[in-house]
Amino acid sequence: MTTAQIEKPEVLIVGSGAGGAMAAYELTRNGHKVLLLEAGRDYDPKKETPMFKRNGDAPLMGAATPDKDFGFYDATIDGGWQVPNEPYTSAQGSEFMWWRARMLGGRTNHWGRYALRFSEHDFKGKSRDGLGADWPFEYKDIAPWYDKTEALVGVCGTNTGLDDMPPSPEGVLQPPPQPRVPELLVAAAAKKLGIPAVPMHRAVLTRPLDNRAACFYATPCGHGCSIGAAFQTTTSLLPMAKATGLLEVRTDAMVKTVTTDDKGQVTGVSYIDKKTGTEHSVTAKVVILAASACESARLLLNSKTDKYPQGLANSSGQVGKNLMDSTGANIGALVPALQGRPIYNEDGHTANHLFIPWWGHQAQAEKKLDFPRGYHFELGGRFGEPGANIDTGLQGYGKALKQQVKHKYGAYVSFALRGEMLPNPDCYLDIDPEVKDKWGIPVARFHWKWSEHELKQIAHGLKTAKDILTLMGAEVGELPAPEQAILKGGQIIHEVGTTRMGASKTDSVTNQWGQSWDCPNLFVMDGGVFASNPHKNCTLTIMTLAMRNSSWLSAQLKQGAL
Amino acid sequence: MHHDHQNAAASETATPDEQPYQSGLSRRQSLKLLAALAASTMLPGLAGCDSAPPTPDTTPAAAPGATIAEHWPELNLTPVTGKGYGTDPNMILPPESPWPLTMTPAQLSALAIVCDILIPRDGEVPSASEVDVPAVINEWVSAPYPRQQQDRPLILATLSWLDTEATQRFGNNFTKLTAAQRLAIIDDIAFDHAQTQPRFARIVKAFALLRGLVVAAFFSTPQGTKDIGYVGNTAIGGDYPGPTPAAKAHLDTVLRDLGLTAFAWQPV
Ligand SMILES: Cc1cc2nc3c(=O)[nH]c(=O)nc-3n(C[C@H](O)[C@H](O)[C@H](O)COP(=O)(O)OP(=O)(O)OC[C@H]3O[C@@H](n4cnc5c(N)ncnc54)[C@H](O)[C@@H]3O)c2cc1C
Ligand code: SF4
Repeated sequence: MTTAQIEKPEVLIVGSGAGGAMAAYELTRNGHKVLLLEAGRDYDPKKETPMFKRNGDAPLMGAATPDKDFGFYDATIDGGWQVPNEPYTSAQGSEFMWWRARMLGGRTNHWGRYALRFSEHDFKGKSRDGLGADWPFEYKDIAPWYDKTEALVGVCGTNTGLDDMPPSPEGVLQPPPQPRVPELLVAAAAKKLGIPAVPMHRAVLTRPLDNRAACFYATPCGHGCSIGAAFQTTTSLLPMAKATGLLEVRTDAMVKTVTTDDKGQVTGVSYIDKKTGTEHSVTAKVVILAASACESARLLLNSKTDKYPQGLANSSGQVGKNLMDSTGANIGALVPALQGRPIYNEDGHTANHLFIPWWGHQAQAEKKLDFPRGYHFELGGRFGEPGANIDTGLQGYGKALKQQVKHKYGAYVSFALRGEMLPNPDCYLDIDPEVKDKWGIPVARFHWKWSEHELKQIAHGLKTAKDILTLMGAEVGELPAPEQAILKGGQIIHEVGTTRMGASKTDSVTNQWGQSWDCPNLFVMDGGVFASNPHKNCTLTIMTLAMRNSSWLSAQLKQGAL
Repeated sequence: MHHDHQNAAASETATPDEQPYQSGLSRRQSLKLLAALAASTMLPGLAGCDSAPPTPDTTPAAAPGATIAEHWPELNLTPVTGKGYGTDPNMILPPESPWPLTMTPAQLSALAIVCDILIPRDGEVPSASEVDVPAVINEWVSAPYPRQQQDRPLILATLSWLDTEATQRFGNNFTKLTAAQRLAIIDDIAFDHAQTQPRFARIVKAFALLRGLVVAAFFSTPQGTKDIGYVGNTAIGGDYPGPTPAAKAHLDTVLRDLGLTAFAWQPV
């Protein structure tokens, strides 16, 4: 993407993903000159998205490999669980998985687009059960910003009236797609247990918006969406910000440190031009970090100086702490009643149309559950495009073999649990004292341990899913222990909390505007600022906060406050 | 019977496949076969590596599988050396031949026969070898990734095992057997059930992996995808229509049979 050359930018943004692109959009819209630095390469979804490409045309039938962890066509460039030349480490006894992408638009090019609002109780968990931290504002403060973000991003779904899903104003949500047969069967079985299933909220257009077309229900969104229906910053916020003429984007620019002057004021950043390997400094009035929660924390810790020996913006000691992911576990079964069912086109928008939101607030309030926070189920199972799923459970050969395969087709139903974890002192990142990346930048080292809360929640979720599957006539068998079933830290790719916001500078890194307590012209606008990590996937809230806080920052700049 | 012999009927008489397997000219171009041929001149043949010495049996029809001891080939494989397609491959024009192929023509010929026993031609629907499944398996076992390198010895051992077993039972390599002789062996290893003889336990597992791969590769081709009935990957104008009347009617019976009709989903 070619952009204007900006002389003397007012604001520097690090990272072009969900948070950085939203900040660039909001600030340029308000007339501010912005320079955005992105460590990844330039990426043009219009030209590079493999729309309609078949698995059979890809190496290994499109199978996942260490080069492309989520399959050949997945729109992750130079990333996945490992980024070439940029390692990370885990402390002894810890296992953490860190998904990154080095491309314009970051992980928004291939995210799942599940976009659920947090609700009233999500912002005040600690007030309710004494655990973790409250956010420094209430739902009603952020609700209008959710409205604006949903309208801009384009979210399909419905207002369900459920206590876990606060409503959007009339006309904001776009209509959701019709549910598919396996989802309808799950919904009926769940309802018998008093558990609701409702349309998922997804950042996918079902009606055209701006220059973006509506979904045509045909191509996996993880490959990227060249028509702009599935939200990614490279087809929306970045071109929109660029159109103002106030945004310059520099790709292949790996920021190494945030620079400060003698007085401790932030002056800009220093970055490596990855194409030439040379180091450059740029200055601006304000620096916004949106490199993703863990990268931004790493940057702050690596920006230590004599004045800031613990790292920048870290007088509270909280930078890198409070690292949270979502809990995750998968369970599924072959549903005999769905075998041999009539085939029709079940692509839809290629993710689940119905999901199961958290239904247990009341039970929790009545102390009927042995774990404190909620979860939801994302549902899977449809007539998918054949690919590299190697089924070693088949029998025989010839016609009978084919019949088995056809009979099973579309009869497997899966539940993906996504739950809230609480921050705990064993989950954090610091800087590895030995290891550096190719650019000489010290790397992040992860520490991780699930607590009892998460394990009990997983046990509850597995049992619930089993109960639903059993009502559907499926044989689930014995459930694994939660320690076995829970996915690894980081594996759900909702890592947040490492520069958390709060009401006091003693136990948080930023105020409610993402402004660091220590350096007023330094902001964080990624998931690092989350005070808690509700089960409702983080990215809509990252974008909403970035919009709200950039708008506040713009007002500050206009008032000459910074 | 779980299986059907009808598939092999076309070659029921003694017709050893003298013709080496030839890849068709689809995406997996003949280039790959050339690469395989070139590679074959450098790799030792597999048959020579078998641990159990072949003991030709001159009375094929009477050879009961049960009297043969369990055997397993030693492969002495040279690790693949090719590089992966990297973290930024061209997704619009996927690489045709991302790494050097490693299977020998003899292996490919045996594989083609196994492929067509697993998925024979079915009226208008081509067999697995007709849509180049062996080439996909060759790409798979030659890939420099952990999963594929874990599968490779199992797949190659299966092919080698078939030769040893064929030689012990019928005095000839698998490819040289009659269709009936081949099926006599396949019948012993294609089912994982109570009657499976212990000496086949290991090959049954390895064969299941090969079968899974062949099935996946077959259904990933345009002809296979059509055969399984997948009707997506096609743009829809307007709203997603949801289940067809037939699909809805089927769901209704399912709900009724499971006693869930009263709980049928309603839009909010
Ligand atoms: C497969 C997948 C599915 C997901 N599904 C969902 C979902 O359904 N719903 C949901 O809410 N979330 C989902 N997520 C998570 C979502 O992608 C992230 O929460 C979101 O992208 C985070 O936004 P961000 O701006 O903080 O970081 P990113 O999107 O990761 O962007 C950060 C950018 O900063 C750049 N950068 C990093 N370090 C530097 C540096 N030092 N200098 C310069 N640039 C730098 C990176 O290259 C990157 O482009 C999913 C993620 C994945 C991978
Ligand atoms: S399913 Fe729809 S939203 Fe997703 S990539 Fe295809 S067209 Fe885009």
